[in-house]
Amino acid sequence: MAFQILLNFFLAFVWMFLSVSFTAQSFLIGYILGLIVIFAFRRFFSTRFYLNKVTAVIRLLILFIKELIMANISVLKVVLRPKLDFRPGIFALPTELKSDWEITLLANLITLTPGTLVVDVSFDNKILYIHAIDIADSDEAIDEIKNSFEKAIMEVSR
Amino acid sequence: MKTKTNDVILQTVTNVVAFMILLFSLRIFFVGHYTPGGGFIGGLMTSGAIVLLLLAYDIKTVANILPVDYKILTAIGLLFAVGTSAGALVFDVPFLTHAYGEFNLPLLGETGLHTAVLFDTGVYLVVIGVTMTIIQTIGVSE
Repeated sequence: MAFQILLNFFLAFVWMFLSVSFTAQSFLIGYILGLIVIFAFRRFFSTRFYLNKVTAVIRLLILFIKELIMANISVLKVVLRPKLDFRPGIFALPTELKSDWEITLLANLITLTPGTLVVDVSFDNKILYIHAIDIADSDEAIDEIKNSFEKAIMEVSR
Repeated sequence: MKTKTNDVILQTVTNVVAFMILLFSLRIFFVGHYTPGGGFIGGLMTSGAIVLLLLAYDIKTVANILPVDYKILTAIGLLFAVGTSAGALVFDVPFLTHAYGEFNLPLLGETGLHTAVLFDTGVYLVVIGVTMTIIQTIGVSE
């Protein structure tokens, strides 16, 4: 991933030196040509073609914005309810993500979607402890949301 | 408060955010001549980034990352300030007189250089040194 981006920048610089015009335009042309070359020889690399990862990141961002809006509306419904009949609680979410930044990203996504809040992470980074505002009707739904987030993050880091 | 917790989220976010704070503090330091900013607030923000590292990790780790003696840093900053001021005496003008001029630098083009930047560097280093000395001294004393 990072190596492919570096190679693409290097190819763009090479194109700038070949065409002896040191402008942003020629850099952009060289970058696009380098992208085509890297795409043609994508099987040489041990990792995926990096544009797939870029689209995965954009997809994660769109998913996050959608979830943020939906969850805020649902919290608004809870707040405006005349009777306080929701049941808060803490549940454990076993996660399959490995590295530190994946765990952090997942925890921050869970925290920023209202109704759920990450309280703690277990020492082996395998379990997230999550406080939910209404645990009675939404345990399975929350698990689905987490699976969607986790899948999207795995798409990025795979 | 001797409970151990897993600080993975705090540490991972710190690894990214500390660099942003450092970059922003350098920006604030360099634009101080024409816009709000300057050596004092830049130095405070840089020490703020180091304090964030201290909060996320511990004093020994940060001392390994940044092997800087902050008391010596304060002395270097004072030397910068005094040296810039005393440099005026060489050219037979009053103490603290600053010189400036337009220079054509290879990368940046036409750039105005002013010796007040060197004085501001002294302020910057002194602020970092004093802040970090205070915080670390309070931190290690039980």
